[in-house]
Amino acid sequence: MKLLTWLVIAAALFQAALPPVLGAQGKPLTVTGIHNLTFGAVFPGVPRVISRTDPANAGQFDVGQAKFANILLTFTLPSVMVGPAGATMPLVFGANDAGYSSPETITSQVGFDPRLPFSTALDKNGRAAVFIGGRAQPLASQRAGAYSATITLTVTVLP
Amino acid sequence: MRISKLSLAVLALVISASAVQAQTNNASITATASVQTPINVVGAQSLNFGNVFPGVNKTVAATDLTNAGRFDVTGQASTPVTLSFTLPATLSSGANTMPIDTYTGIHAATSAQTGGVAFNPVTGANPTLSGAGALFVWIGARVTPATNQAQGVYTANVTMTVVY
Repeated sequence: MKLLTWLVIAAALFQAALPPVLGAQGKPLTVTGIHNLTFGAVFPGVPRVISRTDPANAGQFDVGQAKFANILLTFTLPSVMVGPAGATMPLVFGANDAGYSSPETITSQVGFDPRLPFSTALDKNGRAAVFIGGRAQPLASQRAGAYSATITLTVTVLP
Repeated sequence: MRISKLSLAVLALVISASAVQAQTNNASITATASVQTPINVVGAQSLNFGNVFPGVNKTVAATDLTNAGRFDVTGQASTPVTLSFTLPATLSSGANTMPIDTYTGIHAATSAQTGGVAFNPVTGANPTLSGAGALFVWIGARVTPATNQAQGVYTANVTMTVVY
């Protein structure tokens, strides 16, 4: 009986030592930020739109898990970018500003609304790319300087 | 034996809890932008025809640094801008009017008009701000007073709009 108790403790320690994110087939769920969403030079009063198909400026995440895994993609999107002395600049995401690509190419995407959770399934390779564009809307009186904000993609493996 | 069952239950809980925890992951990227210096436009000098006599046309050239109208522009260094104008067809003095036409324009990087480039204010222009973020714009025109032009001070507004 004591032996079994020690086995339980050992099992618990073993579980704690495992990588924290494991999927149905034991493969780690990986989510990696690949490219930032880059608006570049923006002029006061002149909105700048970056398409999710813009290879140089669209944001990109890579996702990996077991083949054919059902996943749910959920973005946490900022409404503003923050600049010098706390100045803010509106950042808007539309219904077609995110794209999912099983072949992991920016030219082959299925568009979706980044403001809403999106469920899909990985292909036989167990990998995919997720792209995001958006619209920066500087005011006519927008203070000059560098602005930034954080975009987070959360991936959940569905049963 | 009771301890044994309890241990098994704990073991099952540990494993199942790990499996549930393992289903979510996330990553972040950054959205970035660099906002450029706003455009500022100042009407620095009025377009001044001085004394005009009835029936005698008078022209002020855009190269006339004393009498041509001048706008001073500041903004993001070395950046193209678009100039457009609202140009009056007449000057007014109360109910009396006097035609104004034949607008000319020059833009340059310095207030001395060095290296100035002529343009037609009717169609506008697309100059580039200097390395210091400056641009100077001069406007000339012609007035054509009638032979019976009523005496008085005639004025009108010339408006220049600048956008990136």
